[in-house]
Amino acid sequence: MSMNFSEFKKRIGAEPLSKDPELLRARESSPEYEKAAIDAEHFEAKLRDPIRGILKYGEARALAAGVLVAVGAAGLTWKMNTGWDSVEEYLVDHYRHDGVKLVSIADESAEQNVQALLAEFNVQAAPELAEIVGVIKYCPTPDGKGVHMVLNTQSGPVTVIYMPETRVTDKKLLAFDGMEAILVELRSGSAAIIGAGTQKVSNYYAVIQESIFPSPGSS
Amino acid sequence: MNTEAGRQAKFNQLAQSYGTDLYRYAMWICGDDALAKDLVQETYLRAWKALDKLKDSGAAKSWLITILRREYARTFERKVPKFTDVDTVVVPEDSELEPEDRTEIKLLRQGILKLAPKYREPLLMQVVMGYSCQEISEELGVSKSAVMTQLFRAREQLKAKLQKDGVTGNVHELF
Repeated sequence: MSMNFSEFKKRIGAEPLSKDPELLRARESSPEYEKAAIDAEHFEAKLRDPIRGILKYGEARALAAGVLVAVGAAGLTWKMNTGWDSVEEYLVDHYRHDGVKLVSIADESAEQNVQALLAEFNVQAAPELAEIVGVIKYCPTPDGKGVHMVLNTQSGPVTVIYMPETRVTDKKLLAFDGMEAILVELRSGSAAIIGAGTQKVSNYYAVIQESIFPSPGSS
Repeated sequence: MNTEAGRQAKFNQLAQSYGTDLYRYAMWICGDDALAKDLVQETYLRAWKALDKLKDSGAAKSWLITILRREYARTFERKVPKFTDVDTVVVPEDSELEPEDRTEIKLLRQGILKLAPKYREPLLMQVVMGYSCQEISEELGVSKSAVMTQLFRAREQLKAKLQKDGVTGNVHELF
């Protein structure tokens, strides 16, 4: 027995591209059913473009690659940790976790991702900074999510960790594992600049302070 | 036992196969580009951690969507995300499209975002992820007949929006 027209419209409205034999038989049973099925298919074609046209393929690949960097760098135990007693302890722990690994892969431009990630925190990077970012990814900070970047500078890779909600002692210098770090109070949030001891990260203090700033219109 | 290289290869395969669709799905459920990317990143991070539990590669899509939906629910527990216009992240329309077609696409995008979650989610699972009604039923924990009703009503609401907002032409033939 063929299904009634009301039932057919509901089923074809729920699954316009269904190949269910019962639906196909019903569709062929009369012109009225056939027209309803064609109408449903037409609407489906209209519907799929707006939904699926939301992302360029290359952007998806970039996103996946960024994630691979993040998870490939190390496990997640560290990521879930929020028990640091100080910003300094956090920075050392953070850098030991994946700092060297990310520096080692910062050989390509991540410029296109820079503004997108920073925008989430209502800040942006000066173009001169964005264009030398080799790796960028989200990272934990003592006060929630932040951004971990590796800059390809003339003196070699320099790591910058942006901490949107963390207050630091401005210009405080740290040294650990042959590395040197300096804390920077920004107009919005703060940052830590980390580099090899020979790189004199204090030289980057002014440029970082000037190059990460609130997005227009943000409070 | 998987080697680390094998594990990485398995994960790469997942990321490449489902990254686009996961992002699309995340974008449509949260309406915010940065949050959607974060959701996908968190989904992959959790997937990486639990990768050894995925025994059946055929179940990977469902597994990832489940992780993403849970992560989204957790996000809402922590904060109410800020929403942006989906039009800011869509692929630019084909310049050959007629103005009427562009209007129609815009109206549909607005309509999808305004659908109640109980209608929007199954529709996205079907259109973005290619789920069958049975798979949606299992993912959402509701009956298959309920899913079919939700899908039918979702499309009816979108058709009604097009009609109400005055798009003419072929769309009228749908009613």
